[in-house]
Amino acid sequence: MKRTLLLLFTLALFVTFTGAAAGQPAKKDYRPAVRLETLDNGMRVLMLVKPGAPRVVCHVYYRVGSINERPGITGLAHLHEHMMFKGTRMMGVTDFAKDDALNRKIDALMAQVYRERYWKLQGDMARADALAQEALGLMNEEKQYIIKDHLWETLMRNGGTGLNASTSNEITGYYVTLPANKVELQMVLEADRMQNAYYREFYSEKEVVMEERRLSENSPGALFEEQVNSVFFAASPYSWGVIGWMDDLKKVTRADLAEFHDRYYVPNNAVAVYVGDFDPANVLAMARKHFGAVPRGADIEPIRTWEPAQNCEKRVTGKGPAPTSVQLLFHTPPGGHADVAALDLLGEILTGETGRLFKSLVKGKELTTQSTARNSAMLYAGRFQLSALPKTQSGVTPEQMEAALWDELEQIKKGGVREDELARVKNRREAMVTRRLQQPAFLAMMLGRSEIARGWDSMFRDLDEILKVTTDDVRRVADKYLGRDNVTVAVYTREMGK
Amino acid sequence: MIGRMNMKKHLLAWTIVLLAGFAVLGAQTHPDQLVFPPLSYTPPDAQAFRVSLANGMRGYLQEDHSLPMVDITAVIPYGTVCDPREKTGLAQLLQASLVKGGTVTRDGATLEERLDFLGAQIDFRVGERTATLSLSVLSKDLAEGLAIFFDLLRHPAFRPESLTIAKGRLIEELRRANDAPKPVLEREYAKLLYGNHPLAWQPDRKTVEAVSAEDLKATVARYFVPRGIVLAGSGDFRRAELMRLLNRLTAGWQGVPAPPLALATEFAAVEPGVYFMQKKINQGYVNMGHLGISEANPDYYAVQVMNFILGAGSFTSRITTKVRSDEGLAYNTGSKFTYTWGFPGLFAGYVQTKSSTTGYAIALIKKEFERIRREPVSDGEMKTALNYFLESFSEQFTTPARTMLQFATFEVLGRPLDYFRTFTARIGQVDKAKVQEAARKYIDPEKLAIFVVGDWDECNRGSDKYPQPLESFGRVHRLELKDPLQQ
Repeated sequence: MKRTLLLLFTLALFVTFTGAAAGQPAKKDYRPAVRLETLDNGMRVLMLVKPGAPRVVCHVYYRVGSINERPGITGLAHLHEHMMFKGTRMMGVTDFAKDDALNRKIDALMAQVYRERYWKLQGDMARADALAQEALGLMNEEKQYIIKDHLWETLMRNGGTGLNASTSNEITGYYVTLPANKVELQMVLEADRMQNAYYREFYSEKEVVMEERRLSENSPGALFEEQVNSVFFAASPYSWGVIGWMDDLKKVTRADLAEFHDRYYVPNNAVAVYVGDFDPANVLAMARKHFGAVPRGADIEPIRTWEPAQNCEKRVTGKGPAPTSVQLLFHTPPGGHADVAALDLLGEILTGETGRLFKSLVKGKELTTQSTARNSAMLYAGRFQLSALPKTQSGVTPEQMEAALWDELEQIKKGGVREDELARVKNRREAMVTRRLQQPAFLAMMLGRSEIARGWDSMFRDLDEILKVTTDDVRRVADKYLGRDNVTVAVYTREMGK
Repeated sequence: MIGRMNMKKHLLAWTIVLLAGFAVLGAQTHPDQLVFPPLSYTPPDAQAFRVSLANGMRGYLQEDHSLPMVDITAVIPYGTVCDPREKTGLAQLLQASLVKGGTVTRDGATLEERLDFLGAQIDFRVGERTATLSLSVLSKDLAEGLAIFFDLLRHPAFRPESLTIAKGRLIEELRRANDAPKPVLEREYAKLLYGNHPLAWQPDRKTVEAVSAEDLKATVARYFVPRGIVLAGSGDFRRAELMRLLNRLTAGWQGVPAPPLALATEFAAVEPGVYFMQKKINQGYVNMGHLGISEANPDYYAVQVMNFILGAGSFTSRITTKVRSDEGLAYNTGSKFTYTWGFPGLFAGYVQTKSSTTGYAIALIKKEFERIRREPVSDGEMKTALNYFLESFSEQFTTPARTMLQFATFEVLGRPLDYFRTFTARIGQVDKAKVQEAARKYIDPEKLAIFVVGDWDECNRGSDKYPQPLESFGRVHRLELKDPLQQ
């Protein structure tokens, strides 16, 4: 139902494969026997057989997300993901020619409406409303040609579960789990929307996405987090959230969608993943038939603007209906960089119920009930985040809280971490990856996202790096990245009554 | 299978109709052209996995050697409904301090660090009717992990510091309990429909402070007993070896569960109308309905199918199609029946929409309630719903851990295990007449409690396009959003 799992302000999912898995040679036998095939058009197919119930997890991932947007079309990657469920030239329509003719008229009218409403400082609103009304009449007329939610209904009627899609800053995924004899259905539908996308009911779906944005605005503190994120990232396209700015959602057009789709929804930018009870030769043959028939697209340039060095301290303060909190955010390198493993482990040493923050700030000094740390390495950027909720009811101020967090960091920069602390978090990481191999849908997601990032086996290669980290490495990266000229301090104060 | 036969018939008809359409797209395949190979599925038989320990503890164990891990869960016949009113919050405190408080011979922090060092995870959760202690451990460390696991079940110590931290965190959580609108809506809707009943009681500062370590120990003594607990285990072990280990770790542990609490299963009727709770936000959060049914109700299957068509089948369902897809009014909308074994659950149509369309969306949902009672559902809707239930049935058995946990939970609740064996047959017996009958019996548009959390002026005003004041849905009860720390 959700259809979208917005990774709005953090990239929590990515933690799962920035450094993970089980690494010592003796233990490699249970690493999954993944088969990777590349079709002639550049599309990659990952297959992993897991015998059991006769089900197959079927996912498709594209290397596209909100970082591929620009000012003016923020939120488009996510809106586009919604529109991928709105039918194609084949699905969701009874008479494509008539439907298409109507849509051309609707777009022409709405283009005039947008000119009056958004291009001009003082547009003719009466004219805009009249034109919009005319367009609405055509939209109602179009309904006779629309087969509502045809793709969704077809998958559910065939026993599809886990039906959903999600957009993050970097990756967009489309998910379904089907009975083992129906994998071909997913391929037919995914290949169809890759090459025949049509974006029917665009104007009402925009309204749904605006409602989705309002929902997130009603989550306490979410608007502040959105601002913090846009301060932390000054230049790179990570500076806006996946949901996009409301203004852009209002003004974005169907032509914007088509341009975006044609550039990014090409087989050479896609990975299909199958995990479950199936015959790989059979699935590969079907993939060649359906996905293989989609024409290859032009090569895609990665994002241009990486985050520049900060060279100053930034502070953001806000008030509102969420608990008082203090956050320290530092820029760290993207996934694949040699320092990521040590930064990940530093986060682990600090966080959790056995971590330093709990022992020192929750139990020892009793300054907070909740304090966390985490490093997130993304495709082109990274972030180390420390946060704590000061016990304001005991008179702890945000200033004291912030000072205590800096103290913890200073201790590590000066004294480093202990061998036993490091061993503990390494073991935890190693077991965590094995644990995550248990769930077919989760495993498919890790494989697909890892493949998009740096190859599916990067989740295991990263673990090898994790296991090599020394206490010296941890102290060194703390010193290198967790400094005052690389920080954004965000202080939020609860203000009731709203 | 049924799905496949239907597909074949379907295919014949559509191949002809759609031929012209295919021509446009050349060689591309239409889903209706696909012919799927047959697939038959028999769910796992619970009896094949059932074991009994020497002391009478029961369990379900399945070997699975694909990964060097073992999952063990103890399902315990204790839940939030077991706590007395004046100590509401006991369950949450027990949840937070069982592991942290350590055991008689193991300090909590040492225990947590040891588990962490092994890469093991131990997790204790209390639900409404059952609690679970779960261990996930590498198979090489199984013996040590299980020793800690049973030590926690048998000899928890609840050291004072753990309870202090748990209370501090719970009070902080209560302080935030009114921040987000969704939890407020769910909590208050349950309170309205269940009234003064353990299913709806909420902790406050006083009831939290009233809980002592002795209360936690007494609760454990009463409910954590071998003949009440059912184990679920799966992973990289040999069943015979694991049985020996389990018998050794539970030797000398005796006890029978206390008789089940006699809790009211009848609830006073709620006056229909609008129940409005003020919160300055830009949407109206709505639950509209009344009490639902228990899973024990023989009409359960018909209600499942009916609700799928009404609003639980996501984009194939009527409410989602109308309110979200056609009108673009909401991101979240639909209908739900919640279930709590032994009690009637809650029924609700739900929507979260911008303030000015709140009344309009409520009217649309109400119309769908009326329509599914008034006229039979279509053949297409029926087919989609039945196929969905039948074809997705095997999903719940995709991991051994989930399968074993389901069996164990059913046994603790006293729910008949033939549910799994008979599910497809019973769903298959639901027809259009039964769906309509279920709608008439279990949805009553005259008795709706329409619960809204939002900004009154904006929600009640509506808009020019959607003039539907909330006052038009019956008497409006304005409810006060109380400080959760002092109810």
